[in-house]
Amino acid sequence: MQNKFRGVMQSPITPLKDDYSLDLPTFEKVLDFHVRTGAPAISWPHHKGESLSLTIPERKRFAEATVKVVAGRVPVTIHVSALAVEDTMELAQHAQRIGANGILAITPYFWTPTREAIHDYFIRLCTSIDLPVLSYNSPSYLAGVEITGDLMSRLIERLPNFVGVKEASFNSEKFLEISRVALSLRPNFALLTGVEFLLPSVPLGGVGSYSAAGSVCPNLCAALFEACMAGEWPRARELQYKMTRLWHLFKDQYPSSLKGGMVIMGRPVGPTRPPLPTATKERQVFIEKELADMGVLDSEPHGW
Amino acid sequence: MSEFEPGLVHTPVTPFTRDNRIDYDTFAKLIEFHLRSGADSLALPMHIGESVSLTDEEQRALLAFAIKQVNGRKPIIAHASDAGSAIAADRARHAQGLGAAAIVATTPYYWTPPAHMIVEHFAAIGAAVSVPFFVYNSPEEMPGSKITAELCLKLIDRLPNFAGVVDLSLDWQFMIELLTYAKRRREGFALIAGTEHMVSAAATGATGLFSPLAGVAPKLIRKLYDSCRKDQLVEARGAQEAVAALRQHLKSSGHFKVALRTMGRDCGVPRPPLQAPDAETARALAATLEPMLRDEPRGF
Repeated sequence: MQNKFRGVMQSPITPLKDDYSLDLPTFEKVLDFHVRTGAPAISWPHHKGESLSLTIPERKRFAEATVKVVAGRVPVTIHVSALAVEDTMELAQHAQRIGANGILAITPYFWTPTREAIHDYFIRLCTSIDLPVLSYNSPSYLAGVEITGDLMSRLIERLPNFVGVKEASFNSEKFLEISRVALSLRPNFALLTGVEFLLPSVPLGGVGSYSAAGSVCPNLCAALFEACMAGEWPRARELQYKMTRLWHLFKDQYPSSLKGGMVIMGRPVGPTRPPLPTATKERQVFIEKELADMGVLDSEPHGW
Repeated sequence: MSEFEPGLVHTPVTPFTRDNRIDYDTFAKLIEFHLRSGADSLALPMHIGESVSLTDEEQRALLAFAIKQVNGRKPIIAHASDAGSAIAADRARHAQGLGAAAIVATTPYYWTPPAHMIVEHFAAIGAAVSVPFFVYNSPEEMPGSKITAELCLKLIDRLPNFAGVVDLSLDWQFMIELLTYAKRRREGFALIAGTEHMVSAAATGATGLFSPLAGVAPKLIRKLYDSCRKDQLVEARGAQEAVAALRQHLKSSGHFKVALRTMGRDCGVPRPPLQAPDAETARALAATLEPMLRDEPRGF
């Protein structure tokens, strides 16, 4: 059976009002925009959705809105990673209660946990709910804390709902090892990556990614995925290079610049919560120039 | 600068005699083996060839010997890395004089200079020659001095002969960003995989491969390389997994020479401070490797 988590899945940004409070009506528009422009799944709130700058009640409130607005049109996963593991457990329970289709969880923040501690964490999390769990591996952001191939195999063998990974090491050797181990034990394991890095991952068994730039360029996301799955590598390279220019533009002060880019695309979503900055007018002018140079203003949808 | 495509580059070890001198008789046989076994070019002496344990004089003599032995049948890329910019530049200049087709060099040993000093270091080496110059990016071996895409772009502006990067970082962000921007400034700019993790590198646009493992398993490496160059990337995954498994066992230089001996190509043991594994470890390693290398050529 094909895994339902595949393709370039969208993780919406979190719209804020000028006073930094949550902007629900705009969030509903963002969600609907992603579904209408071809997102194969929705996942919220990623780091790009300022997850760690939201309170736990805020996260619950918008998780409920996500499930309600998407309304079964595509699968919804809730990103439950929180600074306190106890909050993560609570968010996972909540995701199940509100009818989400799965959760996503990174290795614990800050403490640089040992491999055994990571193992125990995922066992506890996955056995506390019945939902499918996607793990999230990001060693370069978390001081080398990672899910190794060996740990992955122990978790897959033990946990029937451990169904995939967002593998964001962006490293050929690490990705290959996880792919080899995971797919041999669970052939429909969802091997995903971050930031639309499809080109280097699909030949090694990758079936999709989350998206950094999808709220600006959903068409490019879809085209890149299709080219990779069809094995049209020269075309895929061109699209990935274009995507890289967008990533280069947005990764600076991510997601502030992305929110700035959405203004240019006619989909304003408000400021970014401190400590991250909000894209200035000057920055927006620069972003507009870059988007124009890449042809994004002509090839991607404007407005909601 | 004429376009130079390194292709599949074999990186031979340096054989030593029992009393730790370079074993040139064996080196001649080893070079012939590489040429017969599918090398498009040779690069030497790389780190697998224990470059850092050779004196400057030995490095020059080794290169001269190799160039004479190969006698124009394939291009030779000379490795010129050193701690001092002038030492490395002088070695590069000498290598070009001997007939090296290209130069490769990494960041300075030991020092951990900031980006603008790394640019100066590479600029000094690259400007010392007119043949193509490749930067060797190996963050695991050279911690503390980071090569970024931005640094490479600066170097493109400085050096007309800066031809590409040999990448051991395995880092998708670096590889894709480098090609995205470098190719806009210099069309023929090449990304060359610096380890045998070729599939993802080739997907992003890498066109060459520096392979130490080609000395142990030349058929497997050729198969992986050819599939990648034909853009048969999904098909290459099987070979890639076999290569990755082999790499796991051969990460240290001491182990690498055990593998060569297992294949009937005894190149002695490494020079100090590297150590050969003890006899029992070596026997166990040989037993592990045997079934993995059944289809590969034995002897020289």
